[in-house]
Amino acid sequence: MAIITISRGSSSMGKAVAEQVARRLGYRLISREVLLDASSRFNVPEIKLEKAIHDAPGILDRYRHSSQSYVAYIRSALVEQVVADNVVYHGLAGHLLLKGLSQVLKVRINADMKKRIAVVMKRDRISADEARSRIQEDDRQRRKWTQTLYGQDPWDASLYDLTICIDTLSVDNAVDFICQAAGTEGFQGTEKNRRQVSDMAVACRVKAALADEFPNVSVTCEYGNVLVYTGAGSDHSSGKLARKIDHVRETVEGIFHIEIHSGVAVPEEAV
Amino acid sequence: MSIIMISSDVAETEAIIAGKVAEEKGYALLDRRVLHDAANRYGVKPERLNDALENRPSLLRRLPPRQWRYYLACIEAEVLDRLLVDNIICRDVGAHLYVNGVSHAMKIRVLTGKQACREAAEREGGSLEKAEKQGFRMNRCRTAWSMAAYQKDEADPAGYDLVVSLDQIDPVEAVRTIVGASAYRKFQSMTYSTKCLTDLALAARVRAALLKSMSDMQVQARDGAVVVTARALKRRKREKVEAIKQLAGQIPGVGYVEVHVRNNIFRKAE
Repeated sequence: MAIITISRGSSSMGKAVAEQVARRLGYRLISREVLLDASSRFNVPEIKLEKAIHDAPGILDRYRHSSQSYVAYIRSALVEQVVADNVVYHGLAGHLLLKGLSQVLKVRINADMKKRIAVVMKRDRISADEARSRIQEDDRQRRKWTQTLYGQDPWDASLYDLTICIDTLSVDNAVDFICQAAGTEGFQGTEKNRRQVSDMAVACRVKAALADEFPNVSVTCEYGNVLVYTGAGSDHSSGKLARKIDHVRETVEGIFHIEIHSGVAVPEEAV
Repeated sequence: MSIIMISSDVAETEAIIAGKVAEEKGYALLDRRVLHDAANRYGVKPERLNDALENRPSLLRRLPPRQWRYYLACIEAEVLDRLLVDNIICRDVGAHLYVNGVSHAMKIRVLTGKQACREAAEREGGSLEKAEKQGFRMNRCRTAWSMAAYQKDEADPAGYDLVVSLDQIDPVEAVRTIVGASAYRKFQSMTYSTKCLTDLALAARVRAALLKSMSDMQVQARDGAVVVTARALKRRKREKVEAIKQLAGQIPGVGYVEVHVRNNIFRKAE
């Protein structure tokens, strides 16, 4: 009873692996559904969400913070999807968006550049040079996106529980590894784990509700008790955030109690 | 019938996992104890070989680059000869960095990450942050060493067939996964993969013999034919070719030696 995220570079057979894992374990397979869900819930065009989760934020985005808001919407939609457990997510950044949840098995599929080029050449009927530059550009965007928003390198193996090289191992072998790991004790959906996911869902809802106006706030939730962390000063003292929090309390589901913490260290698990 | 090479960010974890896998599979374990045999074979001190595996060349340590390369070549030659036996677990001798193109050699990396830092902090009574910093520093040193020795980053997951993080996965489960993977057909020794390993071992033996008295050398071997690429001053070219042919020809298994000498315009002739 696990949540499995499968991360990979483009054209690295990650989708094939995810489909087989989901089939073998009888889990739900999700990817684009998350964007569709976020799009309809937050009334944002899907293309904007896709761009926000794929492309690194540009210079203007750093001032408008639109990327951060969109990522908060996507994260909220993803967490709502995994609350039900038994899910395989093979969309972008699953390992980062679900960071902090202990029952998430984070898998990375790596493939050799030559093989990736061959896949793209065959699929898009383009030359090797063009395929190579497309893959390199895609990798560059992924690296920049992850570094800008999370300060990490997507190729860093320490972000994942399992990193599988698909060149030497087949898709079937990779599926075996993942299914075996998913069955181990650490990834089982215990009562504690389920509560952790539902708390994260509440925190993500609050964060999504605040992200547009207050992109720099961080949120935690425990047993429905929500803490909103802000930097010392401005937002909180102006009362603007407090008024917004009052509104959030009325509209967001699952909040038992909500309060603002200003100028204190933000916990690692905050969203 | 396979070779399993295990590497980790923490030496203790690497030893435990390698030991357990060896026990489960009933395979022999190849680790730094092999340095004594290598030292005897090549007439060097075991501590010097150990030093070469730990550190980069340094004048302060009395480990000049040329000597360092020679020590590494001695280790490679000894390790590769041992790996020819098959059914072996290998750790702590850098084999995952120089055993390339051998399909039955499975490369595994085990990451202990935060768990190891927490344990280190508890053991030493320091803070987690301090333990993390120390772990980061050690990994950076290992990366610098592997880059200098083999132009590869030891931490790069692309160099491994499988990387397992012990943050969430139990070590027992990791061992089971490694044992299960080693049974895959892809990791069974075949005629071609055994031949590749034999060629690597021969090239390493020749290189170790040549590096004792020369430097800046590349050696490739195929079916007993050895190709050596070296550098020499134009006027010493013929002399160097003769010396290489003579030295390499004495190594058992060498049938033919071809030498390519490039002009060395920066260094003195050896």
